[in-house]
Amino acid sequence: MLRLTKLAVRLSLATALVVSATSTIAADTIKIGWLSSLTGALSSAAIAENQGVQLAVDEINKSGGILGRQIELLTRDTAGDPTKAVNFAQQLAFSDKVHFVIGPVNSGEGLAAVPILARAGVPNLVIGAIDELIDPVKYPRAFRVINTNRQWISTANDYAIKVLKKSKVAVIADTSGYGTASAKTAIEMLEKAGIKPVYSVLVDNNKTDLTDEMNKARAAGADVVMPWTAATGMLGRLLNARGEIGWNVPVVGHPAIMAAQIRQLLNKPEYWQNAYAAGYVSTTFSADGKLPERTQQLVDKIRPKLGGGEIDILFWWVAMGYDTVKIIEHAIKTAGSTDAAALQKVLENTRDYRGVYATYSWSTTERNGFPDSNMAVNQANTFKDGSFKLAPR
Amino acid sequence: MLTVIVTGLAIGMLYASIALVYNVMFSTSKVLSVTTGHLSMVGGVFGAYIISVLQMHWLWGLLGAVLAGATFGWLTDVLAIRRVLARSDEHLWLLSTLALATMVQQGVGLWWGTEPKPFPRLITQEFGAGLMDQKFWLPIGMAIVMTIGLEFFYRKTMYGKVFIAMSEDAFAARARGVSTDKIRLLSYVLSGALGGLAGFAAGQLTFAFFALGHTLTLLGFIALAVGGLGSNIGALIGGAALGLLNSFASYYFGGEYQQTIAVGLLMVVLLIKPEGLLGAKNVRPV
Repeated sequence: MLRLTKLAVRLSLATALVVSATSTIAADTIKIGWLSSLTGALSSAAIAENQGVQLAVDEINKSGGILGRQIELLTRDTAGDPTKAVNFAQQLAFSDKVHFVIGPVNSGEGLAAVPILARAGVPNLVIGAIDELIDPVKYPRAFRVINTNRQWISTANDYAIKVLKKSKVAVIADTSGYGTASAKTAIEMLEKAGIKPVYSVLVDNNKTDLTDEMNKARAAGADVVMPWTAATGMLGRLLNARGEIGWNVPVVGHPAIMAAQIRQLLNKPEYWQNAYAAGYVSTTFSADGKLPERTQQLVDKIRPKLGGGEIDILFWWVAMGYDTVKIIEHAIKTAGSTDAAALQKVLENTRDYRGVYATYSWSTTERNGFPDSNMAVNQANTFKDGSFKLAPR
Repeated sequence: MLTVIVTGLAIGMLYASIALVYNVMFSTSKVLSVTTGHLSMVGGVFGAYIISVLQMHWLWGLLGAVLAGATFGWLTDVLAIRRVLARSDEHLWLLSTLALATMVQQGVGLWWGTEPKPFPRLITQEFGAGLMDQKFWLPIGMAIVMTIGLEFFYRKTMYGKVFIAMSEDAFAARARGVSTDKIRLLSYVLSGALGGLAGFAAGQLTFAFFALGHTLTLLGFIALAVGGLGSNIGALIGGAALGLLNSFASYYFGGEYQQTIAVGLLMVVLLIKPEGLLGAKNVRPV
C-alpha cells in the first residue's frame, strides 16, 4: 500500500513537472495562426503563399527566432469555406491563444472571420482585396497587406487612358458579386476621369460565346476593352472572340488575363497579344530582363524548395506570404513584446517598411498598407519564372 | 443577329439533349435525377482527358466519354435510386441524387482541377469559320440524332417497348413478367451514355469544366418542363426555345437578366400549361 502511495506521489510529481515544462515551452514560442485555403477551389494562391510563409518561418527560427523566441506556426486549412474559417479563427484566438493571425486568404472567408479576430483583439494581417475587410474603428487590429480591388482598377484605367491614350472604353464584367461590384467601381472611376464608357455589359461567366458582346463593343466605337472577371473561361472566350472577328483592340483589366490557364483556352496563341493586366512592380522584369533585387533574392532562395526548375506559380503570392511573417517579426521586435495593443501601435506607426512584395505603410486612420506606386501593368503573354514583362509605356 | 440565333440554338440543343436524358430515366423510374447535368460534365471532361492528355484519337475519346457516362448512370441507380425507391415513396431521391452529383463534382474538381480546360477540335477545321464552326453544329447535330435514335428505340425495339410499358404502368409491367429493376438499371446506363455523348459533342462550346453540372441539370429540366415531360420532340423544342430566349435576353438586356428570364419561362409554362407544350395531360382515372 505504502509503495503504491509512493508511486502515485512520484507519478503526480512527474506529471506536474512535464506539464509545467510544456507550458514554459508554450509561453516561450510566438504563436502565429495561418488561415489558409490549401485545398478546394480557391487553393492555388494559398498554396503559393504558404511557400513564402513557411520559408520565412524556417529562416527566422534558424537564426534564433524573434527576441529569442521560436515561431510556432499553426496552419489551418479552411478549404475556402467561410464556416470553417470562422471555426478555426475562434479556435486560434480563444483556445490556442495565438499572438497574430495571417489570413484568411479569400474575401468571402475574410468577411466572416475578421470580425471574430477583431472581437478577440488578435492582431490580424488581412490578405483579401475587398473594401469591407478594412475598418480602423470596427477592426482596429486588422492591417491589409495586399492591394485593394480599387488599386487594380485604377491601375488598369490609368494605363488605358494615359498610356494607351484611349477614351472609348468598353467595360465587360461577369454577373458574379465580384464582377458586378467591380464593373460599377470601374465605371465610376472612369467617369470621375471624365470618360463615359461607350459600352458596358455584364455577362454570365459560363456564356459559351462572347462574339456578340465584342461586336457590340466594336459597333459602339470602343478603342479599348476592359474586362473585370476572375473567370479564366470567360476571359479565354473574350480573347477568342476578339481574334475570330479580327479586331485588334487592346484588352486591359483584371490580373486573371495573364493567368497561365488562359494560354490553353485560346484558339491561337497570338490571340493573347495586345492584352495587359494590373500587376506588381515587384514581379515585373525590367527592360534588361531583371527582377527587382529583393524579388530575385527570394526567387533564388525558394527555387530549390519548388523543385529547382522554372517557377510555375505566380510569384507575387509567394512574396506576399513571405512578407506577412517578416511584418510580424518587425512588429514584435519593435514592440519588444507580443502584447496585442503594443503590436497595433507599432503597425500604426509603420512607414515604408520594405518587403519583397511591396513597401508597406499604415497609420492610425489607414489600414491599407499597399502603396499605389507598387502597382504595375504587365503584358499578358509574358509569364516567366512567376513574373511578367512590363507593358509598353 | 445570326450569331445570336446560332449561339442560342447551339447551347439550347445541349439543354435539349439533357432533357432527353431526363426522359429516359424518368420513363422507367419516375425520378428526375439531379445527376443528369453532371453526366454531360463527366462526358466532356473524360473526352478532353483522353484526347488531350492521353493523346489518343478522338474516337477513343468518344468511347471513353460514353463509358464514363454509362458508368456514372449505373452508379446513380445503384447508389442513389434503387434502395431509396424500394424503401420509400417520398421524393427522397431528390436528396440522394443531389448528394451523388455533388460528390462526383467535387471528385472531378480535385482530379481535373477547378479551372475550365480546353476541349480539343474533333474535325480538322480552321478557327475563324464563324458561324460554320463545329462547336455550334456538333451539339445541334447530336441532339437531333439522339432524338431520332430514341424515337426509333422506343417504337421499333423490344427494350424500347418495355421502357414505354414501364412508364405507362410499372406494376402492370411487373405483373406481365418484366424485370422492372433490371430495366430501370438499363435505362440509367443508357441515359448515362447519352449524357456523356451530349457533353462530348458540346465540349468545345462549354470547355471541360467541373462545375457545369448543376447549371445543366437546372436548364435541362426547364427545357424538359417547357417541352413536356416524356416527349422527345417536346424536349427538342423546349431546349431550342430556352437557348434562343437566353441568347436574345442576354443580347438585348445583358447577362444579369439571363437566368431570371430562364426561370421566368419555367414559371410561365407551369402557370399556363403545366404539362408543357407536348406533354401528356395527367388524367387521373377515378
